Amino acid sequence: MVGEEHVSMIPAPAGKRWAATVNGRPFEVLAPSNAVLLDVLRDKVGTLGVKRGCDLGTCGCCTVMIDGVPKLSCLTLAGQVQGADIITVEGLSDGAHLAPIQTCFATHGGSQCGFCTPGFLVASQALLNENENPTRQEIACAIEGNLCRCTGYQQIIDSIEAAAAIHRGESETLAPASEPHPDPHPSGPGEPTMPPGHAK
Amino acid sequence: MGSYRQQPGASPSEVRKDGKRVAGKQVFPPPGSGGSEPKMRPRDLDYIPETVGGREPKPAGDHIHDRDRTGTIVGKAIPLVDSNAKVTGQAWYGDDVRLPGELIGKILRSPHHYARIKSIDTSRVEALPGVVAVSTGQDAPNRFGVLPVTKDEHAMAVDKVRHVGDLVACVAAVDESTAIEALSLFDIEWEELEPVFDPKKGLEDHDEPIHWRGKYHLARTNVQKRVFQEFGDRSLVKTPHAASHGSWTMLGVHHGFTEPHAVVAHWDPNGRLQLYTPQQVPHYTHRALSTVLDVPMHQINVVRTFVGGGFGGKSDPFPHEMCAAILARKSGAPVRITFDREEVYWINRGRHPSHIDVKMTADTEGRISGFDIDALIDGGGFASFGHVTSYYNGVLATAPYELGSFHYTGARVWTNKPASGAMRGHGAVNTRCAVEVGLDEMAEQMNVDPIDLRLANLLPPHSRTISGFRITSNGMREALERVREGSSWDSKFRQLPLGKGIGIGCGFFISGSGLPIHWDPKNFPHATVHIQVDMDGGVTVHTGAADIGQGSTTAVAQVVAEVLALPIEMIHVRSHESDTSPVDLGSYSSRVTFMNANAAIRAAIGIRDQLLKAAWEMLGYHPNVLVLNDRRIYYKHDPAVGVSYLQALHKAQADTGALIARGAYRSPPMGGVHKGAAAGLAPAYSFSAYVAEVDVDIETGLISCTNVWAAHDCGKALNPLAVKGQIIGSCHMGLGQVLTEKMVYGRTGHLQNANLLDYKIPSVHEMPHVEAIIVESSDPEGPFGAKEAGEGPLLPILPAVVNAVYDAIGVRLRDLPLTPDVVYSGIQKHLKKNGLEEPEDIESPRLSHGPLQEILVARGDEHRERDRLRQRSEDTSAYVNGVLFGFDPDRPLSEQVEGWREADEPLPEQLAELGFAGRAWLKKEQRHMEDDA
Ligand code: FES
Ligand code: FES
Repeated sequence: MVGEEHVSMIPAPAGKRWAATVNGRPFEVLAPSNAVLLDVLRDKVGTLGVKRGCDLGTCGCCTVMIDGVPKLSCLTLAGQVQGADIITVEGLSDGAHLAPIQTCFATHGGSQCGFCTPGFLVASQALLNENENPTRQEIACAIEGNLCRCTGYQQIIDSIEAAAAIHRGESETLAPASEPHPDPHPSGPGEPTMPPGHAK
Repeated sequence: MGSYRQQPGASPSEVRKDGKRVAGKQVFPPPGSGGSEPKMRPRDLDYIPETVGGREPKPAGDHIHDRDRTGTIVGKAIPLVDSNAKVTGQAWYGDDVRLPGELIGKILRSPHHYARIKSIDTSRVEALPGVVAVSTGQDAPNRFGVLPVTKDEHAMAVDKVRHVGDLVACVAAVDESTAIEALSLFDIEWEELEPVFDPKKGLEDHDEPIHWRGKYHLARTNVQKRVFQEFGDRSLVKTPHAASHGSWTMLGVHHGFTEPHAVVAHWDPNGRLQLYTPQQVPHYTHRALSTVLDVPMHQINVVRTFVGGGFGGKSDPFPHEMCAAILARKSGAPVRITFDREEVYWINRGRHPSHIDVKMTADTEGRISGFDIDALIDGGGFASFGHVTSYYNGVLATAPYELGSFHYTGARVWTNKPASGAMRGHGAVNTRCAVEVGLDEMAEQMNVDPIDLRLANLLPPHSRTISGFRITSNGMREALERVREGSSWDSKFRQLPLGKGIGIGCGFFISGSGLPIHWDPKNFPHATVHIQVDMDGGVTVHTGAADIGQGSTTAVAQVVAEVLALPIEMIHVRSHESDTSPVDLGSYSSRVTFMNANAAIRAAIGIRDQLLKAAWEMLGYHPNVLVLNDRRIYYKHDPAVGVSYLQALHKAQADTGALIARGAYRSPPMGGVHKGAAAGLAPAYSFSAYVAEVDVDIETGLISCTNVWAAHDCGKALNPLAVKGQIIGSCHMGLGQVLTEKMVYGRTGHLQNANLLDYKIPSVHEMPHVEAIIVESSDPEGPFGAKEAGEGPLLPILPAVVNAVYDAIGVRLRDLPLTPDVVYSGIQKHLKKNGLEEPEDIESPRLSHGPLQEILVARGDEHRERDRLRQRSEDTSAYVNGVLFGFDPDRPLSEQVEGWREADEPLPEQLAELGFAGRAWLKKEQRHMEDDA
């Protein structure tokens, strides 16, 4: 874990030049040759949306897209992905425009504490890029490497299904599926709308 | 353009071709804080209670908050208000706080289970270039702990370490690798002590008890807390018609939140501490920091970051928070400490490993004549919430059934393991499982359906449990009936083929704890909320409620939006900083929605009344006939006569500036006077019933849960989307405990699976389909009728699965988790006992109804009507536990029942027959030993 090299070195070894495209922007940083991608992304590139849940490849919170494929950044050496095209959760939206998958995670309860969410979003966006019409089983397989302790996954799968529908152009509606009170009197009386120029 | 759209930046359109939408895009139809078109959204009558002229059903009748409903947002499924931050990666959790010039802190942890520190030499550490500050226990001798009665923790070990992973020292260095290297340079002289791992051993005297409580210490044992409670007439259990006795071993489980603990400390130029931490209970950390650092509380600002899951595991004040503050003070720079996953298990605070013994009996009429519970719980190295857990293991089994008698002995012992603490369903989960499985067994002995047995023994709404808890709203019956129907129970139970099974479980849980931990409830409220509205019309709400993902911020925003009839986007909740938030007890005991939303409603009413008064002056109509809807206040009988929200606001502000209001909530005085009467007291209780379906592979013992019908009575679902999320999430966590999750301590007492690979949390593939059913009983004191939904829903899943496994294979298993090896050996034992050859020869249990079935069904039907009348307050007569046994609720039971006892200590003749935990009563406290000497 700790090498001799650290004894007399302040600051830490400057390391090698590391370059990649992160969320569409070229980055060049100095990183030790044994640096892990997760650390480089969080500490040097500044994409703090990439989360560290375990460091062992067991939680999926650190998932990023590398050349379109979801991978665990905690198990990837930065050196392995020199020059790659990396997308983190920050890269899913386009400025203020949220991707359907992001909106649907919000509207369908796919995110509670939100710590696992970046990993899930990247993994499911990767799925939707490949397959716009996934079954629930296919969705489950796409997120099997991601751990969520809050939601029990069900509403995450709901969210991904809803996003897939938007991708297919079938749905515009963002309202969550569950309506608490099915209207007992659908044709009941409405209340008057305001006529113009009302105020006293 | 028909309406005014608020857009971040200059985005040309709301939806683009590729389907991307503008974050936080909101449509604000005027009139109000913007546009000009005089059109108001119609009132949403579906979300206005029928009791005040709307169409929302009110099965329990009138509610005090009905008049404050505007149909704006309560009851609608909406996204969490902070979800945009979460889905864009901008939510800032503990480790995301990066201050300029930060140092990295690391903690040196004990390699020994139990040892005395004879000396620590830090000179080699200090000499390492890059190390800026070093600290050991000597720097912070003051003790702290979450409960004032059991302060037994230090920032770092002062003389002894109490478990592997206990904190010994800490360093701050310029980078992580230097800090890690520094940890190897401490020179420590240890004297190893004899560790205790088995909680049963903890009941015996020891040369060196793990903690020493002076004259209150129980002999020389490691017992931290012992409890005895007895209510009712114990002679009832002497001649049972049916009886069940189960001895359970339940292993410890961990919260398994995805975000490891992290903390950042910084002393600002004025010498004030700024501490950033993902805490469920920032206020207790605030207090503990003040004690440990010897700094007044007002010189500390605790900033709660986003919390990546808590479940009870982030509710203690933690030693690493103290360490960060100490290191930052020594070094003069910000210090960040982030745990790796292994350290998360060392600090633990998970569910107690427990040995639970439950005996229960029923009489010839199928009434439950007695519960006898003995719980020995393994507390690990520190007290944490254990004092309370010791009570909860018993008292949270006193409902939802009417009992003839109740007897509980509990003991929590210190062992040399990471400390157990509070975890979702605190203290109630394990006993609940044992109790519900016992009921299943008794139903089988009596040849009755276990659901009918339960339906015929429920406490009604507005009643009192045997231990004196006040039950208000109670949706238990409806929950049972709905899962029975949803799961087609009657055509499946005891009728499925071998290997397939269905089972039932129930539960109830506190909705807020009636007594605050740290102060006298007579002096301070439980929750306070401040609201401020300035000229722009935006509403700022200050609350200390800690959102840990359950959505408390959303709930507070929702109720304020509801009362003021404003779009929720106009409500801004500020809850992160102790500097700006009123003191709040934090997110535990499922108290936040109940207490904070109540306080928020009161504050919002304060603002509303100022607005209505202004409108009164402007319109000449009394507030009683004014209606609030969508940023307008108008005359009830002629909506054309009205003023806009901003007009009223500006009028109200004319002489005073910003409108300010505050609201507070305090639970009413309740409960008995016996020792421990406060434990488990809550202003309301939630109820739930689950049915689970399982497949058991009879060859390998592998269980998979395939379907769950989960009905939970949350009073009123303020946000059904979030309530369902809580129910499904609870199922997931409970399934983990019953099927796969365990903290494994090897023969040497070492925790063997401190990582997420070997600690098995169910993945998406192990998750059954959960049909979440919301039952709304409308609690009279809940905010708009709401009760908790975060913890209670976890309880029933465990017994439902265990009972389903019995239905599938006819084998009662009582070792949790039910991993394949446990099931396999259970099946093998069963084969041997019954002289069978192959697992296929096992006969699935079958039920043919006995004579009692009809009696129970008839009683259940009768009680349904009784409950309905009581729920609607059409019957307001007193009801206490015991009426089912023919007693008069208006006279003290002690007068009516011969042998009625209400005791918190065993009688001498009882000492011989006590269970494991009960044996703690054979010992004497030091002070009484001195008396004897
Ligand atoms: S941090 Fe990479 S999988 Fe957990
Ligand atoms: S939302 Fe909390 S872990 Fe998934």
